Amino acid sequence: MHFHDNYPEYEKMAIHGEEEGKKARRVLWNVFWVMLIVTIIELIVGFIAPSKGWTGTFGLKFFFITLTLVKAAGIVLYFMHLKHERTFFKYTILVPYSIFMLYTIFILLTEGTYSMNPRFRNKVDKLYYEQQEKLKNNEHHSENVEH
Amino acid sequence: MSHTAHATVVDEKELWNGGVSPFNLSYGKIMMWFFLVSDALTFGGLLSAYGFMRHRFADVWPHAEHVFVHFPFVKGHIPLAYVGLMTFILIMSSVTMVLAVEAGQRKDKKGVIIWMLATIIGGLMFLGSQAWEWYNFIVGTEEGALRWVWNDDQGKYVQQIVHGANMTVNEYGIPQFANFFFFITGFHGFHVFSGVVLNIIIFTQVLNGVMEKRGHYEMVEKVGLYWHFVDLVWVFVFTFFYLL
Repeated sequence: MHFHDNYPEYEKMAIHGEEEGKKARRVLWNVFWVMLIVTIIELIVGFIAPSKGWTGTFGLKFFFITLTLVKAAGIVLYFMHLKHERTFFKYTILVPYSIFMLYTIFILLTEGTYSMNPRFRNKVDKLYYEQQEKLKNNEHHSENVEH
Repeated sequence: MSHTAHATVVDEKELWNGGVSPFNLSYGKIMMWFFLVSDALTFGGLLSAYGFMRHRFADVWPHAEHVFVHFPFVKGHIPLAYVGLMTFILIMSSVTMVLAVEAGQRKDKKGVIIWMLATIIGGLMFLGSQAWEWYNFIVGTEEGALRWVWNDDQGKYVQQIVHGANMTVNEYGIPQFANFFFFITGFHGFHVFSGVVLNIIIFTQVLNGVMEKRGHYEMVEKVGLYWHFVDLVWVFVFTFFYLL
């Protein structure tokens, strides 16, 4: 049986021998160890954070997000092989995605914290306030408690 | 793995004049990348929405270290350990996948079979772990917690002891946390499931010698890209749901 596929000649250049395979495997295992150590550091910091009072601080968030981006870079560049692709291809993948995501994060943070401002919150969040008022009033009726 | 094996060095300015593939990639791999970009936008949007709601309700948002504290066969309060294990399983299966791809580039059929089998097992282990995590989250603790629950008969919110979480009530905090947890980890879990199915299909083809007849293992590279993407998403879910 003969297969017809559009696998082009130049792709076959990626096929390598025993010698290069050894080198490639060493790089991959190194990336794995880095990712494992980063994950263990994250877990240790996450484990001791509540007792140290770091929960919710800017420093902790910055620390975790930076380490996450390090791990993501390891996966995309080495495991998904993007590091060894053509420059044009790297930009084709990364630039549109970065533009969209940076804008999404920017607009959600800006608009999301706008309504947190107590000066505006009552105006933009009438429903929330009405519900809170209702809950407060209900709290005095202990006969509503069911088990 | 590396492209240093190229016989000729191409002038990058000449790439777009025709006659050569500017990306130096096959059609299938480029399209897999484009699909992954669109999928990454979906997950990016979901996680951004999660961050938005979390900021919005920061005062009532539950902390993951109080929610996910179970570990199999161990009684007690052990935060982060189980999800750490899940992360380890998925990173490990990502490594075995990339080793399968590397074996494919050496046309080492035995290597591809061994590493792909390890990847499939890792994926199934991760799915099982996630099912267990969901089970514990849905069942909740024995004591439960007092929460305001909407009562249709009385037409108002009443206080009730709530065990575990579902789409409308949540023992650990506001229901939005449970909604986002179910949707995002569920969507990711579905991707893991699809990845395992794709891996099994390609694994069977490798076993049957289809790739040998073709003379290359490109399909292994394509499912490999998908599998690494699943791992990539989990890295972010892990950070935003469990660590922060």
